[in-house]
Amino acid sequence: MMHQKNFAAEASQGDPDAYLRLEGVSKTYGDFEAVRSLDLAIGKGELVALLGPSGCGKTTTLRMIAGLVPTSGGRITVGETDLTAVPPHGRDMGLVFQSYALFPHMTVARNVAFGLEMRSIPRGEIDRRVKEALAMVQLDKLAERRPRELSGGQQQRVALARALVVKPSILLLDEPLSNLDAKLRDEMRTQIRDIQQQVGITTVFVTHDQVEALSMCDRIVVMRNGRVEQIGTPVDVYERPATPFVASFVGRTIRLSGTANGDGAIDIGGDVIRSAAGLAPGPAEIMVRPHRIEVDWTGQAKTKDDVNRLSGVLCRITFVGDVIQYHVGIGDAEVIAEASTTGNQQLPAAGTPVTLSWRVEDTMAFGSGQ
Amino acid sequence: MEMHRTSLPMGILVTLLFLFLLAPVLLVFPISFSGDQILAFPPSSWSLRWYSALASNTVMISAFSTSFVLAAIVTALSLLIAVPAAYAIVRLKTAGSEFLFNLFTAPLLLPTIVLGLAILIVFASIGLLATFHGLVIAHLVVTLPYALRVLAVSLGAANMACEEAASSLGAKPLTVFRRVTLPMMTPGIVAATALCFLVSFDEVVITLFLTGPRLTTLPVELFNHVERRADPLVASVSVLLIIVTLAVVLIVDRSMGLTKTFVEKK
Repeated sequence: MMHQKNFAAEASQGDPDAYLRLEGVSKTYGDFEAVRSLDLAIGKGELVALLGPSGCGKTTTLRMIAGLVPTSGGRITVGETDLTAVPPHGRDMGLVFQSYALFPHMTVARNVAFGLEMRSIPRGEIDRRVKEALAMVQLDKLAERRPRELSGGQQQRVALARALVVKPSILLLDEPLSNLDAKLRDEMRTQIRDIQQQVGITTVFVTHDQVEALSMCDRIVVMRNGRVEQIGTPVDVYERPATPFVASFVGRTIRLSGTANGDGAIDIGGDVIRSAAGLAPGPAEIMVRPHRIEVDWTGQAKTKDDVNRLSGVLCRITFVGDVIQYHVGIGDAEVIAEASTTGNQQLPAAGTPVTLSWRVEDTMAFGSGQ
Repeated sequence: MEMHRTSLPMGILVTLLFLFLLAPVLLVFPISFSGDQILAFPPSSWSLRWYSALASNTVMISAFSTSFVLAAIVTALSLLIAVPAAYAIVRLKTAGSEFLFNLFTAPLLLPTIVLGLAILIVFASIGLLATFHGLVIAHLVVTLPYALRVLAVSLGAANMACEEAASSLGAKPLTVFRRVTLPMMTPGIVAATALCFLVSFDEVVITLFLTGPRLTTLPVELFNHVERRADPLVASVSVLLIIVTLAVVLIVDRSMGLTKTFVEKK
C-alpha cells in the first residue's frame, strides 16, 4: 500500500513535463468501481503500457482518455487543455483497436484518408499524406484493396496508418496485437515501437501481455481491480515489484511463505532467507524468478554471504528444450528452478536431495497485507 | 454461392419438397393462359384472353397501382422510422430500450385478424376507413416490426469500434452515422426494404377490414373477385403478383446476393 501511494504521488505532481495527465480519474458502473481515482502522468513522446488482467480497468481507462466513456470523476488534460468534457471527435487522439475496426465499405486508401477529410484538408494534400502514411507501414501497394482482402497484420497496420496520418496529439492502442498469431505479434511489436519512436508520439498501450509491455514500453502501469499497483520502467517493475501481485503478474515467480523475524530475515521451514526489504515481524512471503535459482545436488556449493540457500528434494525434471525445469519440494511446497540446457548434462534422479541458491538481491519479500 | 455436394437421395428429397411447396404456385401459370370461362385444370383450350381481360379491367389495374404505391410509401416510411429506432435501441441503449424493442416487434406475435379487427374499430371511430393514409398506417403496424428486427440485427452485427474509430478521427456524430454506420447497415437496409415491400404488397387480412368499393388493393380485389366469380382472371392477376414479387427478390439478389442478405450476417 505504501508503495502504491508513493508512485501515484510521484506520477501526478513530481513530473512537470507531463503531457497527458489523469488526475483522480474514476469510473463507476452502478456499485461497481471499474477505475478508482487513477493518477497518471505521461511525458511527451513516451510509450506507456497499461498492463493488467482482464477486468482491471485498463481498457476503461483508455476509453476515458479517448472520450468514448465519460468519466465519473477526475480530470484528463493534454498539455494545458482540459479534455474531461470534450467529445471524442474533438480530442485529436488516434485510436487503434484489437478488432482493427477498419471501415469495411472503404478501400485502404479511403480508410486512411477519412480523418484528413474530417479536417477539410485539400484533396492533393490528402493524397500525398495517405501515400506517406501507407509507405510508413509498407502497405502502399495495397491502397486500393478492401480491408477484408487483407491479413490481420496488414489490417492492423492500416489501422495504425489511419490513426497516425492525422498527426494526433496522443496515440491510443487497445490490445492491438491480441488478434494476431505469435510470429506476427513479434514483428508488429517491433514495428509499432519503431514507428512510435520515429513519429515521437505520446502513446498509451493497453495490454494483458507482460512481454509486450516489457519489451515495447518506456514505462508500465500495472493495474488490478481498478487501481494502480505500480508505475515504473520495465526493469523497475520486473526487478523491484511493489506488490506480490506485480511480482507474479509480470514475469514468472516461485512463491514461498514464511515468517519475518524483524531483522531482515525470513524463516522458511527452518531455513533463513535474507532480503533487502525491511519487513516487520509476522507472516511474510518471498518470491524468486525461477531462472535466478541455481540447483546443486553435488553438495559442493560454496556458502556465500550474499546468497540465500534452501534445501529440498528433487521431485522431477522437465526438459523444455532451451531450459530444464527442476521441480523441487521444499516442505509442503513445490517450486520450479530453471537452468539453460548445455548439451551433455548429467541429471540427478528424482528423490535426490538438492540445494537451491540465489542471490539475496534477487529475493523479493513481502509482508502480510500486501 | 458455395456449392455443396449432395447425395442422390437427398437431391430427390429436396426436389420433391420444392415441388410440394411450389406446385400450387406453378399451376397458376398454365391456368392464366386458359381459354375457358371457368377456373379449371387442365384448361381445355389456350389463349391470352384473361391477360387482355386483366388489361381492360380498370378495377384490377387501379387496385394494382394502389398496392404498388402503397407498398412503396409504406416501405419508405418503415425505413425512415426503423433506422433511427434501431440505432436508438441497439447503439444508445437508453433505459427501457429492450422494452421498446419488444413493444415495437410485438405486432408480429399477435394474430393478424385480431390486429385487423382492432384497427377497424379504431379507424371507424376516427374516420380513417377506406382512406389511403389509413392503409399506410395499418400496413406500417405490420411492416415496422420486420424492418426493426432486420435492422437491429444488422446494426448489432456491425463493429461498433468502427464508429468509435471514426469519431476519434474527428467525425461528428451525424457524420459518423452517415459515413460509417449507415453504409455498414446496407445489407440490412436492402433486406428490410424487400421485406417491407413484399409484406405490404400482399397484405390481405388487415387490409380486408379497411378497404371499400372506392379504395382497394390488388390482393383484396383478387380475394373479392374469387368470391364473386370463378373465372381464370384470378390466375393472370396471380401471375402479375408473382412477377412483382420475383422482381423484388431479383433486385435484392443482384444488388446484395440473397444468401448474404437474408442468411449470413457478416
